[in-house]
Amino acid sequence: MKIGFINIPFKEGFTIKSLFSFEKTPTNLLVAVFTLALLASFVVGVAMFLTHGHHAYNVTREHPWGLLLAVYIFFVVSSTGLCIIGSLGDVFGFKDYMMISKRAIFGSIVTILAGFAVILFEIGHPVTMLIYNVLSPGLTSAIWWMGTLYGLYLTFMIIEFYFLLNNDMKKAKIFGLTGLLVGLAAHSNLGSVFGFLNARPISNGVYYPTYFILTAFITGVFLAFIVMGFRYKLNFPAKAKVMLEGLAKIQGLLISILIFFVTWKMLTDIYGGMPNRSEVAVHILGSWTFQAEVLLAMVLPLLVVLTTMGRKPVLMFWASMIGMVGIFFMRYNLVHDTQLKPLQMLKIKEYQLAPEWIHYFPSPAEMLISAGGLGLCIAMYYVGTKMFNLDEEEGH
Amino acid sequence: MARYGMVLDYKNCINCKACEVACKEENGILMGADKHRIWVGTGEIEGQYPLLDLTSNVFQPSQCQHCDDAPCEDVCPTQATFTDENGVVRVDVEKCILCTYCMNACPYDARYIEERTMTVDKCTFCTDTRLARGETTTACQNTCPTKVRIFGDLDDPNSEISEVLRVREHFSLKSHLGTNPKLFYLT
Repeated sequence: MKIGFINIPFKEGFTIKSLFSFEKTPTNLLVAVFTLALLASFVVGVAMFLTHGHHAYNVTREHPWGLLLAVYIFFVVSSTGLCIIGSLGDVFGFKDYMMISKRAIFGSIVTILAGFAVILFEIGHPVTMLIYNVLSPGLTSAIWWMGTLYGLYLTFMIIEFYFLLNNDMKKAKIFGLTGLLVGLAAHSNLGSVFGFLNARPISNGVYYPTYFILTAFITGVFLAFIVMGFRYKLNFPAKAKVMLEGLAKIQGLLISILIFFVTWKMLTDIYGGMPNRSEVAVHILGSWTFQAEVLLAMVLPLLVVLTTMGRKPVLMFWASMIGMVGIFFMRYNLVHDTQLKPLQMLKIKEYQLAPEWIHYFPSPAEMLISAGGLGLCIAMYYVGTKMFNLDEEEGH
Repeated sequence: MARYGMVLDYKNCINCKACEVACKEENGILMGADKHRIWVGTGEIEGQYPLLDLTSNVFQPSQCQHCDDAPCEDVCPTQATFTDENGVVRVDVEKCILCTYCMNACPYDARYIEERTMTVDKCTFCTDTRLARGETTTACQNTCPTKVRIFGDLDDPNSEISEVLRVREHFSLKSHLGTNPKLFYLT
């Protein structure tokens, strides 16, 4: 379709009606019902928010950031990860990874849009944000940089995807590289939102801005297995197997580095019993959500890589599905654990009752909107697969 | 132009909470709102009878520290939090997007969500109320029966607050964070 000088090459035979026609296999029907249920939960969650405002959430003065922020981070990390994966082929020229470039870049667009859809209902005044983000930018604010850079990143990703669709690889490379750099900057700024919290010793420091980039790459690899698994219905062609074997080995290295990172973070936090940091770290170690994160996002996928040497893509697909559940816990833990310690306890001289941990459990509205974010992501991805040819063009 | 601060002779506090009531009345804070603009920290008596540590049972009134280098101001993405010409850290309701980053970044837990405007609010040293009417005291200071609080211009060497800070030993809360608070506790 041509609009002025813009040429959007839709997939042959694409019509609105074609969105509703798909192969009625049990798996497809299950995914369709699952997605519709998630979308319905989004509608219900938003309705609860519109009716009760922020009172529909379980966030409090002591725990102002809740599940929606964690889910936003989950999606934008996924987006950055997919952008990295997409860049391997079209920006860095690794031929084996070219076959996933278009799909990954499209995935990075839909995941960040899903993230924006979720955070829209967490920010109290999104319209005010759009206005004053421009009129009176807070240049010392990590949130300002993160939000602004993610806006730019999305623009570059869309332009890159447009050139990929049109097989203009030269321009796709230019916008891909720019988008990747802006995305990495945005993502490390997201880490610095936590790293800059001088008031909270458990999160303050250089750790999160760097850790975010590493975990984005890991998330991207998990998602690469998932989207390719669905694309080929787990019956991978030889070319895909070569790419996925490479990705599995990269994943093994990345998860090993992550385990190294987390181990030293925990040891540093606990060592010496530094008040307000040590006891928080010990508390985190004992929480089931942290144990789930370690087991699902690190130990199990690494075991699969090590035992198969990355040569079993089907097994890696399932390990990646489990890994993404672990990544969800990772994001939830990041948000919750950095708010565990009541701030008033941190005052040098403050007289309070015996210290206790801040408790938080997401409200139904928070859970429904979060689940809905996943529904939006799957729905947008599905529409994309119908509208565009996300496979590598022959001859490239 | 002034640089307002407050001294708290906290050992005189009797935890009558008149300051909290006066603040609510003067600044229109919702009734029943706990620890909103100001609060009184309470120390439980430590030890076991009969070896009770009576020195542990003290009260510490507190509020926004009106930091010279306020973390809440640094993290605000829309500059809704600002320091006015008198050194008072305030919130521009029109610009606040309720991202609550300031609530997370404030080391003193001095911020809360104002239910009516659904924006983040905090102590203003009665800037919009008493100071705007030409008064020279804050509501919490004015009502305190044991004269715990002294409010005034830190840049005026002849002000009572400057005089007290010259002659009495004092400390600030979490000064190691580099926030340069303008609330001073007398020892």
